[in-house]
Amino acid sequence: MSNKLVTGDGRTHIQSKLMRESLQDRSVINDTDSIKDRRILPDITVVSIGGQSIFDRGKAAIIPVADELAALHKSKKHPMLIAVGGGTRVRHTAAVALDLGLPTGGVAQLVGAMEELNAVILNSLLAQHGSITMPRDHFWDLPLYMNSGILPIVISVPPYHFWEPPAEVGQMPAHRSDFGVYQQAEVLGTSHVIYVKDEDGMYDKDPKEFDDAKLFEKITLDELLANPPETNMIDWAVFKSWKTGKNIKKIQIINGLKPGLLTKALAGEDVGTVITKD
Amino acid sequence: MSERKSLNDLGPAKITETGIAPGDYNPVAIMPDMRVCKLGGQSLLDRGRKALFPVLDEIIAARKADIPILLGTGGGTRARHIYSVASELELPTGVLAKLGSYVPMQNARMVQMLTAKHGGIYIMDDDFEKLPLYVKMGCLPIMTGMPPFGYWEKRDENSRIPPNRTDAGVFLSAEFLGCKRAIYIKDEDGLFTDDPKKNPKATHIPRISAQELIERDLNDLIIERVVIEYLSRSKWVKELQIVNGLKPGEVTKALNGEDAGTIIYSD
Repeated sequence: MSNKLVTGDGRTHIQSKLMRESLQDRSVINDTDSIKDRRILPDITVVSIGGQSIFDRGKAAIIPVADELAALHKSKKHPMLIAVGGGTRVRHTAAVALDLGLPTGGVAQLVGAMEELNAVILNSLLAQHGSITMPRDHFWDLPLYMNSGILPIVISVPPYHFWEPPAEVGQMPAHRSDFGVYQQAEVLGTSHVIYVKDEDGMYDKDPKEFDDAKLFEKITLDELLANPPETNMIDWAVFKSWKTGKNIKKIQIINGLKPGLLTKALAGEDVGTVITKD
Repeated sequence: MSERKSLNDLGPAKITETGIAPGDYNPVAIMPDMRVCKLGGQSLLDRGRKALFPVLDEIIAARKADIPILLGTGGGTRARHIYSVASELELPTGVLAKLGSYVPMQNARMVQMLTAKHGGIYIMDDDFEKLPLYVKMGCLPIMTGMPPFGYWEKRDENSRIPPNRTDAGVFLSAEFLGCKRAIYIKDEDGLFTDDPKKNPKATHIPRISAQELIERDLNDLIIERVVIEYLSRSKWVKELQIVNGLKPGEVTKALNGEDAGTIIYSD
């Protein structure tokens, strides 16, 4: 790497591999790639607590999950980052916004507030055990929190705001909570992501509608992409992005209505649905 | 408790007396008269005073003629330098996107300092909702072109460079605001049949469809690839205009809504 300033074509450049180059040129940008991405905080596990699946069920579902999180945090075995979903209030926000004709970016700007509410709810239950609500992009503070025995809680939706790209289908933002959780884990280079939902895992079709729905216990990302389930309990943007991601090797979906499963999942047991990537 | 539904089920929803039902989506344009323009980083800012001052003169003149303008700045060679350092360290794309956001921010601040006496005002993402105030006060809002995806920027296949950079951010600002066009001020006349610096017979392309550009599958492109993709499915922005800021009068034409440079359109 050099630090030379280069002139002569009317512009002043800093010498680098990308100097003067078009960043649209495939042969140039392909050269920036390599087989792996650096893992920034590899020991953390990101745990997503579903909005509709857990929080919207109220006290009966929330308290056992909070108790299990408190016990896990106390055990100090698993550094965790907790991400919360927004649930039915997000659906309602989107419905009103779209009826009003607000653009996709407008919907994206609005929904995060409904997740903040669940972050405050969960923090109210866990603060005495050391939790804190963390602005989602403050993750350079994570080492501080981990070393001080603090359990950070973040919202899930990615900060695309007004700049959410036009969706491939319809007006709903494509980058939603499940994607935000995955992407945060991917960029931090954490070990794995656990989605805590209200089903035993991912099925080939909606188990609430079909008695013969089959649970995937273990499945690879490639198999999943080749045969997408009829109803997706996880936003499809997660799997599309995971295809090009380099860090996350395992995504697990467990039933938060059954106490003990989160503890098992964090201990590395194959409970619920385990999706792996080669 | 209510059953869980995917947000995809919503589609275009409608509020009815009995609740939420499928309905037609009738989009509302937020600030459709705004001219959302990008000032190129490598193409203008890195050229310094000689290139930038005449462009700013034309922009200020248009603003004084009461044309509402939002400026977004590009990065340029300092962004390329940090992308290069970060790539060597195998840092993830999301980190590169965050790093890449600082250079256009500097450029936006430089443009603000230069235009302050004419109403230039540096704004951040959170100030976006105050645009009506800035327009009404006769100000010229200037912001980074980079969208706020940062650490949440997705990885491209075979590249570590963030696919959504300042071209994309400016496009998405225009799309949110409900504008018909996004304007890119660069140092070239737009698209040519071949590289005009190498082939003197290359001719200028005044209009081309996004579809045609995608089908050509060019190895290089004058604008970020994702922008062409977004253009083909956007609600409001139907045209990208690329004009040469080094040629006097081109920016004024673009700000007046006239055809100049190259226009990439979607049907």
